[in-house]
Amino acid sequence: MANLRNNRRGRRKIVKTTLIYLSTIIAVIFFIFPIYWLVATSLKTRAQAFSTPPLFVWEPTFRNFIDIFLKRQTEIEAITGQELELATGAEIFFYNSFVVTFSSIAIATVIGVLAAYSFSRYKPAGTSTLMFFILSTRMLPAIVVAIPIYFFYRSLGLYNTYIGLILLYTMFNLPFAVWMMKSFFDEVPRDIEQAALVDGSNPVKVFYKIALPQVLVGLGATIGFLIINVWNEFLFALLLTERATRTVPVMIAGTRGEVGINWGLIAAIETLYILPALVLIFLLQRFLLRGMTFGTVRGVK
Amino acid sequence: MTRVEIRGLKKSFGPVQALRGINLEVESGALVALLGPTGAGKTTLLKCIAGVEEPDAGDILFDGQSVLGTPAWRRDVAMFFQTYALYPHMSVYDNIAYPLRERKWSRQEIDRSVKNVAEKLRIAHLLDRKDPSTLSGGEMQRVALARTLVRNPRIFLLDEPISNLDAKLREEMRTEFKRLHKELKQTIIYATPDFLEAFAIAEKVAVIKDGVILQYDTPINLLRRPKNRFVATFIGSPTINIMRGVVRRMAYGWEFSTSSLRIQLSDVGHYSKLLDGSEVELAVRPRDIVLEGPKNRNTFKAKVVAAERLGYETIVTLSLGDVELKAVTKGMRSYKYGDEVIINIPGDRVILFDVSSGEAMY
Ligand SMILES: Nc1ncnc2c1ncn2[C@@H]1O[C@H](COP(=O)(O)OP(=O)(O)OP(=O)(O)O)[C@@H](O)[C@H]1O
Ligand SMILES: [Mg+2]
Repeated sequence: MANLRNNRRGRRKIVKTTLIYLSTIIAVIFFIFPIYWLVATSLKTRAQAFSTPPLFVWEPTFRNFIDIFLKRQTEIEAITGQELELATGAEIFFYNSFVVTFSSIAIATVIGVLAAYSFSRYKPAGTSTLMFFILSTRMLPAIVVAIPIYFFYRSLGLYNTYIGLILLYTMFNLPFAVWMMKSFFDEVPRDIEQAALVDGSNPVKVFYKIALPQVLVGLGATIGFLIINVWNEFLFALLLTERATRTVPVMIAGTRGEVGINWGLIAAIETLYILPALVLIFLLQRFLLRGMTFGTVRGVK
Repeated sequence: MTRVEIRGLKKSFGPVQALRGINLEVESGALVALLGPTGAGKTTLLKCIAGVEEPDAGDILFDGQSVLGTPAWRRDVAMFFQTYALYPHMSVYDNIAYPLRERKWSRQEIDRSVKNVAEKLRIAHLLDRKDPSTLSGGEMQRVALARTLVRNPRIFLLDEPISNLDAKLREEMRTEFKRLHKELKQTIIYATPDFLEAFAIAEKVAVIKDGVILQYDTPINLLRRPKNRFVATFIGSPTINIMRGVVRRMAYGWEFSTSSLRIQLSDVGHYSKLLDGSEVELAVRPRDIVLEGPKNRNTFKAKVVAAERLGYETIVTLSLGDVELKAVTKGMRSYKYGDEVIINIPGDRVILFDVSSGEAMY
């Protein structure tokens, strides 16, 4: 009798587990397949990329990846049959993306962390109003401010400069940095910092020796979030850059034409483009998850 | 060794008045307990003295010098935080060494002091622990205590330093504090909600409630001559008995009466503030009531309502007409519900309180 019940329960458990795994696998395929296809295409020759039915088994070629960097503009134009905006090969666009992302994140993080700590600890007069104001700068749809910023940048000479893009991305990211970091600093118990004050640390030391180490996870989450924000940004990069400062997403969009495109080459560029984001997400997944649930965990021990 | 003086200290958190005019003097080298219920303002007061909270008004003086202009990190006090406030990213050793490193002690001196205090608090085996959040509550408390006691500051501020330990360890630590105080001869302010703890360790106790110090006195005076009803009820276990009645002036002195009993109070001069015929509250400690004693003027018949046998003593709940009293008697006595007993209420041990203000009338 007991055996029978156990059996039934066991079978039900197996069914349940199978269903969970099955749906997980389907979900993973759903998300992974486009990436697989992208990478696969980047490893095919032009003919292979266009073959019907699609090829699932072929001899991979790294020609596309080499071409991205070695072929000069004219050669690539000849291959793709369309006018590309590649001046030197693709590396300049990757370089631009890196410069803009790294600089704006560095600035936004430093300013954001300091501002968030001040808001959290010293609660200056009007903190909640200021915090709301900071957030409100992100409430307008980007497209609404795009045109004014375009003219603004044109007249200030910031158009098509690194500084211009870096300033813009810093401004866009600062609200996220301040809000996320403030919520992490809010979770650090006051008593720990007060104990350090009594133990002889001045407030600056308390900040970097006591408070900052408590929010490293949150800092990781914030930086990851900001990097993805900037790395993927398209609209303003399109509006405010020309060849010299063009970033990867704009370049990719620019290479898309009607006929005779070398999909393999584009897929290779895109593969390289998503690679940093994938690596980052993989490295920071613990932090990012934490970032998504911030404010909900941790009790004071 | 530092003398601490607090004058008219006030501190509010928004609408909450945590401290409303604290006056306190702690002699150099004294161990004073700050005794009060939860929310009384003990922690707030200690934090003001430490310098991590800024008072709204009033002054704090160390050896006659105001320290309000001195930031916490230069005040040279050590504080044990009620929440322990261990640094979560440091090992136990680094936690204890932190105040010494901030003072630029040499490596050897730090090592010697840390090991010494760890030995004393029996946590030497924990020094290598990387993550203090894996310690048990009692271990955390002792690590935090070690961090406080590792140096020799002008003043020690201890905020409920042993409240989360088990009864046995608490008892040991009480003795330990007295010993430590004898050794260090340091000024110590010790906050606790437990009057037994306060009495056990301190020479003087400041009773604090709602941000006001109600009485600052020796344990025996707090017990025998409480200034008001709150102090009388907060101190002592079981709680002091209080009954309401009227006082009349008689030939022999004062008499207190309810509808069911009359108690003759001893001398007249004692109660200078008393008015003939006024309504008062009379308080008498359960341990002062004598069961089955020799008959005198204040002997009454009472009925047993309940009895709690605690081994060395028995707490008896008695009813006398319209009042209910608790009394404590030695030994294991097997009283049953409804038993009749004779009790004496010592007229020279009662305390009278004004009904409206709750102030004692001496
Ligand atoms: N940072 C703060 N913000 C707002 N209110 C506070 C703050 N700190 C203390 N209070 C309030 O001040 C009052 C006194 O608090 P305090 O912590 O000093 O009491 P306590 O005597 O230490 O109590 P306990 O025995 O529970 O520790 C309480 O009403 C408390 O809610
Ligand atoms: Mg407290």
